[in-house]
Amino acid sequence: MVRGDSVTRILFEAFSANEVRLFYALGYAAIAVFCYGVYVQVRKYRRGAALELDGSLKDRVVAMVAAVFTHRTIDRRDPAAGGAHRLIFYGFTLLFIGTATITLEYDILEPLFGIRFWHGTFYLVFSLVLDVAGVAMIAGLAYMMVRRGWLKPPKLDYARPDRVPGDPDYERSAYRLEDWAFLWALMIIGGTGYLLEAARLVWLEARPEVWDTRTWSPVGALLAAGLKALGLTAAGGGTLRHGLWWFHGIIALVLIALIPYTKVKHMFTAAGSLLARDPLAAQRLPRIPDSKAQPGVATITDFNWKQLLNLDACTKCGRCHEACPARAVGAPLSPRDVILSLREFANKALEYGSLPDAVDLDVHGKAPGQVAMETLWSCRTCMACVEICPVAVEHVPIIVELRRKLVEDGAMDPQLTKTLQTIHKTGNSFGESKRKRGAWTKALPFTVKDARKEPVDVLWFVGDYASFDPRNQKVSQTFASLLAEAQVDFGILYDGESNAGNDVRRVGEEGLYEVLATANISALRAASFTSVVTTDPHSYNTIRNEYPDFGGKFSIEHYTSLLCRLFARGALTVRAPLKYRVTFHDPCHLGRFNQGYDAPRELLALLGCELVEMGRCRSNSFCCGAGGGRIWIPDAVGTEKPAQNRIREAATIPGLEIYVVSCPKDLTMFEDALKTTGNEGKFVVRELIELVREALPIARPAQTEVSIA
Amino acid sequence: MKILVAVKQVSTLEEDFEIRADGRDIDPDFLIHDLNEWDDFSLEEAVKIKEAAGAPVEVLAVSVGPDEVDESLRKCLAKGADRALRIWDDAVLGSDPIAIARILAAVARREQPDMLFAGVQSSDQAFASTGIATAGFLGWPHAAVVANLRYAPGDKTAVLRRELEGGVLQEVTIQCPAVLTIQAGINTPRYASLRSIKQAAAKTIEVLSLSDLNLATTDVGEAGSLSRVRRMLVPPKSRAALIEGSAAEQARKLADIIREFKGVAP
Repeated sequence: MVRGDSVTRILFEAFSANEVRLFYALGYAAIAVFCYGVYVQVRKYRRGAALELDGSLKDRVVAMVAAVFTHRTIDRRDPAAGGAHRLIFYGFTLLFIGTATITLEYDILEPLFGIRFWHGTFYLVFSLVLDVAGVAMIAGLAYMMVRRGWLKPPKLDYARPDRVPGDPDYERSAYRLEDWAFLWALMIIGGTGYLLEAARLVWLEARPEVWDTRTWSPVGALLAAGLKALGLTAAGGGTLRHGLWWFHGIIALVLIALIPYTKVKHMFTAAGSLLARDPLAAQRLPRIPDSKAQPGVATITDFNWKQLLNLDACTKCGRCHEACPARAVGAPLSPRDVILSLREFANKALEYGSLPDAVDLDVHGKAPGQVAMETLWSCRTCMACVEICPVAVEHVPIIVELRRKLVEDGAMDPQLTKTLQTIHKTGNSFGESKRKRGAWTKALPFTVKDARKEPVDVLWFVGDYASFDPRNQKVSQTFASLLAEAQVDFGILYDGESNAGNDVRRVGEEGLYEVLATANISALRAASFTSVVTTDPHSYNTIRNEYPDFGGKFSIEHYTSLLCRLFARGALTVRAPLKYRVTFHDPCHLGRFNQGYDAPRELLALLGCELVEMGRCRSNSFCCGAGGGRIWIPDAVGTEKPAQNRIREAATIPGLEIYVVSCPKDLTMFEDALKTTGNEGKFVVRELIELVREALPIARPAQTEVSIA
Repeated sequence: MKILVAVKQVSTLEEDFEIRADGRDIDPDFLIHDLNEWDDFSLEEAVKIKEAAGAPVEVLAVSVGPDEVDESLRKCLAKGADRALRIWDDAVLGSDPIAIARILAAVARREQPDMLFAGVQSSDQAFASTGIATAGFLGWPHAAVVANLRYAPGDKTAVLRRELEGGVLQEVTIQCPAVLTIQAGINTPRYASLRSIKQAAAKTIEVLSLSDLNLATTDVGEAGSLSRVRRMLVPPKSRAALIEGSAAEQARKLADIIREFKGVAP
């Protein structure tokens, strides 16, 4: 075996000086084109509004690097695509580092400092590593081609629900062309790399330092054997190597030059997007800065730089499209298409030297790249899209910012307009008198404390639906009896409570939200309590995540975790296991928004119910359709409602007895959907609170009050 | 160019309410206040005309009432009125529509609008006469229950359609300036976002007294009115009952009821 200095990568051997000069000229040109492209992209983002990221940069970098190198976010719900992407990512990265190291030595370290490391054992090991990396990349690319060409998952079909065939921006063939061009470019670079390696081996077969070390490039060696078997001579190998060298080199340089202009840029934009990720993007919507004259987003430059970067980070993987409940029932909304539309708009408007007239920056409407109000009002702000996006695109705040502008213009369903006016006037969406908020307590055999008048241990924030909706009032009465049974010292705010504002904010009526949040915060501040509990996940989310931005920091929990603790402490006990076969619907605002997945399941286990999960559960739970103010907007006649879609999913569970919910709006939506889908009589919809009540011993002797906070 | 829009803050009753001690009105504790529904439409019509006009047009919202009425005027400013004007004097209490119209006419003389809009009626008192009475004081042409309007500021005449009973429309040409009472449904009133209402709070609402309008206290209130509220009352509820049981039982129960009420509702 030959070792030492002579074993190294053959670079420009047999090239004329002019050829080398030409290659360098092309290389610098490619880098120049790349740099200009980066400049144009950065200029585009900088044309967006300013935004200060909070939190430490170090934490952001650590989180981004972890996401990129583990591929955790890409693996989710599509491990095959995740695995293939991992092969491509690591293969490409190693090959890139390998090539870059050659440049490092040849063009920098050796000419300047005389340092050489690209030879001997180091070279051989690297040669082996890069050969393996190439195989990984080609295998990954091959799977991606099979996926696009034969498996054809629906989420990769770019059919748009928000446009009709014939619309100027309905056609997405340019995207398909780009997808395939990207796959083939990498495939050809990889394939010619191996062929080039093999041709070089055949060409230099007489040199022991080349030929005898060929096993360190196993794929190249195998191909070389094949070429020789086909009759390739050393001279022929030299000619082939020369031609392939240029072919391979030019394609690679073109790819580098085109990175900022094509989907290849997702290497940078996705990483940037992950770096700027807000873990509470949908849970805590942005406030409108006082400096802003108009609320929301009217023009493309009203988006902040991070949102513009989000648009470019999208890789069209279709996971949001697949998860969206509005899209699933045929509404004219796909989160992916909102992002792609706006991206197309931004690219057209913001990539040139000067900005177009303000009127051409308006993103609202039906022209190419614009977002229609029907699309925006279809959104349930259920967060399914934000939660599953592998590259941290934050669709919900983008949609809400667009809605804020629609609300300001009054461009909304008349029913919604009326509800907002009603909430402003009465503090609740039912249009009931404020003083009737606590009326449901009158049916109880005991008095519920008025937390405005006397201190309580637990303050129960009841919420609109649980206070005014007749069916939910029964649940509220049951929950009150559970708390009384467990000797919890609790009270409510009666007419001091207003609509919590979670959905008002998600509609985009920020002014009204501020009024509601401020009113509730001062009511809560005036009361004396240890902690807040709520039966309403919507109220839970906004009080927990959004009130702090308005100065209201309260310790709040959903009733499911409180009940778990009461059982654990023996304050509540199960008389006999219920033995029902049940399924559980995760409310968006409890589950996805606040990770309250386990407490309701623990309760069901305590009650002795057999839980059969639906296919879409926990983080992939399917919205009932009521979120984002959609409960106040009538659904289009003749279309499936998300709640019906969900009940049909539950109906496929054999022997299902109870569809368990833990959110007042869910109870309303699903009891309705149970009837309208013709499943009445097959199973029932019940609040978890009602099951807990059923499992308790009938009565217990009074005990002294215990603190549970 | 100027359009004057007369608006009223109306009251709605809460479910349980009580009548004031003197029996002539509802106890204010049980009232929720809001801008009159019809006035929402007349204001929107004026703002739409302003927005469609080439020349500058001022939309002036005018209301007669105490401080609390500012809330409704602010809503008008949020929805596109340029100015808001409120007239108040304690002597105005007890005014009927004629007395209110006298005040509005005085405002119109002072402001010289090209057109005066009012709602067809108010949702609380439903006199449906304030607008027309104002026209009477001014000696202006008037049209009631306007469901469609073609008018540009500066025009000598306006063409409008009035809604008559039985689904018939009457198309009328009217000399300007005129008083029009606008029917609900003529347009889609815009939503005043809380933000715009808050911004409107920064605008001043001009407050005029009777003397600013050269009116005496005897021109308003009960002294200036042609009618007076005697009392408020809640009519007895009629009752209905489903009589169940066999034919004989039903007949017996029916006979009992007839005997109890002697065929006359109490």
